[in-house]
Amino acid sequence: MRSRAGLVLVALAVFLAALSPLLRWYAFPRLAKIPAGQYQEMVLEAKPATLLDYGTLEAKKVEKVTIVQTLKGNVEESERIERTAGRDVVVWDSLSYIQGPDGAMVSRIPERYIFDAHTQEPVHATGESVDGDAVRREGIEFKWPFLTEKRDYVYFDAQARTSAPIHYKGTRQYRGLEVYYFEQTIPWTKVPYPKRMPIPGIDATTLERQTGTTRWYTTKRMFWVEPVTGAPVNGEEIHREELRGGSLLGGRDKVTAFAGHVKMRPDYVDSTVELVTSQRGTVLLLTSYLPWGFLAGGAALLALALWLEARGRRPDPAGDAPAPEPLRV
Amino acid sequence: MRALAAAAVGLAAALALVLTVTAIGAPTGETSPKPLLTTVPGPKD
Repeated sequence: MRSRAGLVLVALAVFLAALSPLLRWYAFPRLAKIPAGQYQEMVLEAKPATLLDYGTLEAKKVEKVTIVQTLKGNVEESERIERTAGRDVVVWDSLSYIQGPDGAMVSRIPERYIFDAHTQEPVHATGESVDGDAVRREGIEFKWPFLTEKRDYVYFDAQARTSAPIHYKGTRQYRGLEVYYFEQTIPWTKVPYPKRMPIPGIDATTLERQTGTTRWYTTKRMFWVEPVTGAPVNGEEIHREELRGGSLLGGRDKVTAFAGHVKMRPDYVDSTVELVTSQRGTVLLLTSYLPWGFLAGGAALLALALWLEARGRRPDPAGDAPAPEPLRV
Repeated sequence: MRALAAAAVGLAAALALVLTVTAIGAPTGETSPKPLLTTVPGPKD
């Protein structure tokens, strides 16, 4: 390589070509992470629903039950846990606040979910809990990992405090996005009462022991997940709860405590789709657009450098050709 | 030989850039002052 321009082009070509895999396989896994201070709210509704009237202990059809779910990243706690865990950690304090048609509280369930900021794998640390009970999560909850795969995942069920597979059921189109559809069915399972319930004068923590009445639940959980970001753009549950046996029901075998098809409120679906679409672009920039762009740029610069070199080595046709002989008349 | 040296410079620059960017990382941010909601929020903007 003779020319200075050719050497500069070779250096730039190697720079760009090397950036391509480094960005995709070294930088992306380290840079893509859930921000520790994220705050997110979600409103879900079951319209209509069946809800237990705790005054009469009769199940009633109601116009609407609303679930307000808030996720709040606790930065101080994540930094504290990171010091011992040795990796980037996110701590989400969440609250599922369930409200009846009259605006009164039906129940409220706080959770602390601790997970790896990059992979979404659970991190086990003091404080990991559901409704004040210490739990040890396996699998994911709320969100899938970046670059979600077409396979079953293990999903944590906060009601049952256990994990079970959530099945990949195919690729769908949802509001212009390609999404992976996941489904999980939890069969009838005995679950604890929420610590906060609208039963005046009754301590929910000792309700089962005092009355013998148990709480059961089943649900079919559905998620439409945008695979690049791993973020669900829509979620639904066909959810049923029953109280069974004991002295609380006045001789009845069981009574429905809640039944309904829970769906995200349409304005929250709209804003979630908008947010995920924008985040998808950022992730694609790191995983696809920039790596391929750098590779193409590197190849183009290398080709240019080789062309310059070849041109520099080509013999000058004007200088080397023999001078024409003078014409003789 | 000079081409190899140029390629090594390009490779070293790429490594230095990526290592620096990943070492700096993304900012952690702060815990939001907003509360965990116990009321139904109005329509989302």
